Amino acid sequence: MFHYDAIDAAMVADRNAEFRDQVQRRLSGELSEEQFKPLRLMNGLYLQLHSYMLRVAIPYGALSSAKMRALAHVARRWDKGYGHFTTRQNIQFHWIKLSDTPDVLDYLTTAELHAIQTSGNCIRNTTSDPFAGAAAEEVDDPRVWSEVIRQWSTFHPEFTYLPRKFKIAVTASPQDRTAARAHDIGLVLRRNREGRLGFEVIVGGGMGRTPYIGATIREHLPAEHLLSYLTAILRVYNRFGRRDNLYKARIKILVASLGAAEFARQADAEWEAMDRPKVDLPDLELARIRASFGLVPFRTLPPRSERFEAARSDPAFARFARNNIVAHKVSGYGIVQVSLKGIGEVPGDCSADQMDALADLAEQYGHGEIRVTHEQNLVLPHVPLDDAPALHAGLVAVGLATPNINLVSDMIACPGLDYCALANARAIPIAQAIGQTFADPARAEAIGELKIKISGCINACGHHHVGHIGILGVDKKGEEFYQLTLGGSGAEDAAIGHVLGPALGADKVADAIDTLVEAYMAIRQPGERFLDTYRRTGVGPFKAAVYPDAHQA
Amino acid sequence: MSEQLKVLTANDLAGGQVVFRTETGWSDRYADALIYDDALSADAALESARAATLTLADPYLIDVAAVEGLPVPTSYRERIRALGPTIHPDMGPQAEGGVLVHALQQARGAARSSGRLGLIRRK
Ligand code: HEM
Ligand code: SF4
Repeated sequence: MFHYDAIDAAMVADRNAEFRDQVQRRLSGELSEEQFKPLRLMNGLYLQLHSYMLRVAIPYGALSSAKMRALAHVARRWDKGYGHFTTRQNIQFHWIKLSDTPDVLDYLTTAELHAIQTSGNCIRNTTSDPFAGAAAEEVDDPRVWSEVIRQWSTFHPEFTYLPRKFKIAVTASPQDRTAARAHDIGLVLRRNREGRLGFEVIVGGGMGRTPYIGATIREHLPAEHLLSYLTAILRVYNRFGRRDNLYKARIKILVASLGAAEFARQADAEWEAMDRPKVDLPDLELARIRASFGLVPFRTLPPRSERFEAARSDPAFARFARNNIVAHKVSGYGIVQVSLKGIGEVPGDCSADQMDALADLAEQYGHGEIRVTHEQNLVLPHVPLDDAPALHAGLVAVGLATPNINLVSDMIACPGLDYCALANARAIPIAQAIGQTFADPARAEAIGELKIKISGCINACGHHHVGHIGILGVDKKGEEFYQLTLGGSGAEDAAIGHVLGPALGADKVADAIDTLVEAYMAIRQPGERFLDTYRRTGVGPFKAAVYPDAHQA
Repeated sequence: MSEQLKVLTANDLAGGQVVFRTETGWSDRYADALIYDDALSADAALESARAATLTLADPYLIDVAAVEGLPVPTSYRERIRALGPTIHPDMGPQAEGGVLVHALQQARGAARSSGRLGLIRRK
C-alpha cells in the first residue's frame, strides 16, 4: 500500500485549511454562491437534488482496511450510513452538510484520503486495474505508473484550468478492466520484443453526449518518457481545445476534428521540441515510488488447495468460486471479487457496516488490501485459496456474497433522478427491476457474460454507450423513458453501442431486457457471449424481438 | 380561469436539504409550502429569496397542479425532490408520510390539474 510522504500530507492539510476558510466565508456571507461554487466543486462537493454530495478520491482504486474503516466512519457520522462507489474509482456520500464538510475532509486525512482531483477542469483521479499486483498476465504494476501520474498532475500549474475535465486510465494487462479506450487518455503498458516496457497511448475516448472510442497515437512509447509525452498531449489540448463550447471542450472533440494522425503529429512535434529530461521522471524517483508500494508477503503454497476443493461441495460456494474468484499470479492465491449488485439492491451502494466487515475480512484473509472497480464492485486482490471458504462465509454474513460478477445482474447504474440534479430519469429502480427479473442465479449463469449499463441522462456516468446493453433515461413529454443501445463494450474490444429503437416506458424496460436475452439464447452459437452473437448477427433478430410490430425495413 | 400555480423552493445553504417558502419563512416540508396563484407575487418572492444568500442556495419557482384538490408539482423531478429518493422511502421528507406525500408518490408523468385546489393555503 502506497503511503504519502510529508510533502503530500502538508499539501492536503493546506488545501483543507483553505477550504475551511472558504466555507466559513460563504456561511458568513463574504462569498457569494457564484464565487463559492467553483471552490466547493474543486473540493469534490456538489449540490445534488436532496443535499450536498461529497466525492472522495480512491486513487487507482486502492484501499487499505484502515481507509475503508475511515469511509465507514464518514458514512455513519456525517451521512445516512452508506456510500456509493462510482464508475470512476471514487466514493460518493449523498447526504453531507456544507457546514460539516471541513470536518469530514480533516477526518479523512487521518487515513490519507481526500477529495482532490474529483471535480473541476483538471487532470482527475487516474483509473487503474483493480487486479493490479495480482493479475497473472500483467507486465508491470500499473499502480506505480498511476502514482507517477498522480504526483505529476496534482495541482499541476499548467494543467489546472484545462478546457474541460481530463481523465486518464492505466492498465498493464491485455484484459482491460479500466475502460482505457473510453478515457481522454488510455495507457496500455506492454513489453516489446526486446522486453522493454512501453505504453500504447490512446487519446480522445469519452462518453457524454458525443461518445468516442479513443484512437491509438503511439504503439509503444518507451515507459520512461511517459510524463513528457503526456505533457505534450496536454499542451496541444490546452492550446487548441474548445473553451468556447462546453459540449465541444473535451479532447475527444479535438482529436475527432483534427483526425488522430494530425493530432499525433502535433503532439510529436511538441514532444520533440521539449526539454524532456526536465519533465520525465528520474529513474531514482521511479524506484522510490515502486518501493513505497511495498511487497505483499506471499507465502509459498501449492497451486491446488484441498480446503478450497472440498468446500466446492457446497453449491453456494461453488457458484461463488466459479463467478467471483479468478486466478492469481501467485500459486495458491485467488483474486476475490465482491459484488455490490445484490438482487434488488442499489448498484454500488455499500453500508457502513458492510465497509467495516470488509475491512476486517481483508485484514483477516487478504493482506489488508481492497480495490474498487470501475464496474462498481470491490475486490480483495490477494486471498489464499485455503481461506476462500471462510472469506465466503464472512461475506454471506453481511450480504456481500452475490455470485454474479460479469453476469446480467452485475449492472452499472448511475444515481439518476433519485439523487442527481442533472438527471432526466431514474436509473436505480430500472436496475432493481432487471435484477429481480434475473434473480435466479442458475439462469444468470446460463446466460453468461452480459454487461448492462444504465445512465439517467446523456452525461453517461453509467457508461451506457459501452454497455453490451446500454440504457439511457430520457424525458419524453414529462414521462421517464428509456432508450436501449446494443453492442457497446468498454473492454479491450471497445465499441459504442447502437440505438435499438424508440424509447420504452419505465415499466417495459426489464421485460425488454428479458426479451433480448431470450432472443440471444435462441440464436447463440457455442461459446458466444451476448456481445459476440450481436456482432455476428447484427441488430435484426434483437430488434424484431423487442419491436415485433415495427415495419420490416 | 386561474393562473399557473407556483411554489418557491431552494436548498438550505448550510445543510443542503430542500426547503420551501412558507407563509412565514422556509420549511423542509413540502406540505408547508405556500401556493402562489399569481405570477407577480411569485416573482417578487423569488427576488427576495435570491437576496437571502446567507441561508439559501439556488432558489427557483416550480409549477404545481391541483390534483384532486391537492397541490402536486407538475414534473416528476420536482416530486422526487420534494419527497426524497424513491428507492429509500425512509429517507428525506417522504418518511413522514401523510396525504400530500401520498399524493406526490401516486402522481405519474406530467401531473395535470383536475380541478380546484382544496385544502392548502394560498397566497
Ligand atoms: C450525482 C452526481 C454527479 C454529477 C452531477 C455528475 C456530472 C457529470 C457530468 C456533467 C458529466 C459529463 C461531463 C462531460 O462530458 O464533459 C459526467 C460524466 C461522467 N461521470 Fe458523472 N456525475 C455524477 C455522478 C457520477 C457517478 C455516480 C458516476 C459513476 C457511477 C459518474 C461517472 C462519470 C463518468 C464515467 C462520466 C463520463 C466521463 C466521460 O465523458 O468520459 N458520475 N458526470
Ligand atoms: S448520467 Fe446524468 S443522471 Fe446519471 S449521474 Fe451522470 S449526470 Fe446524473
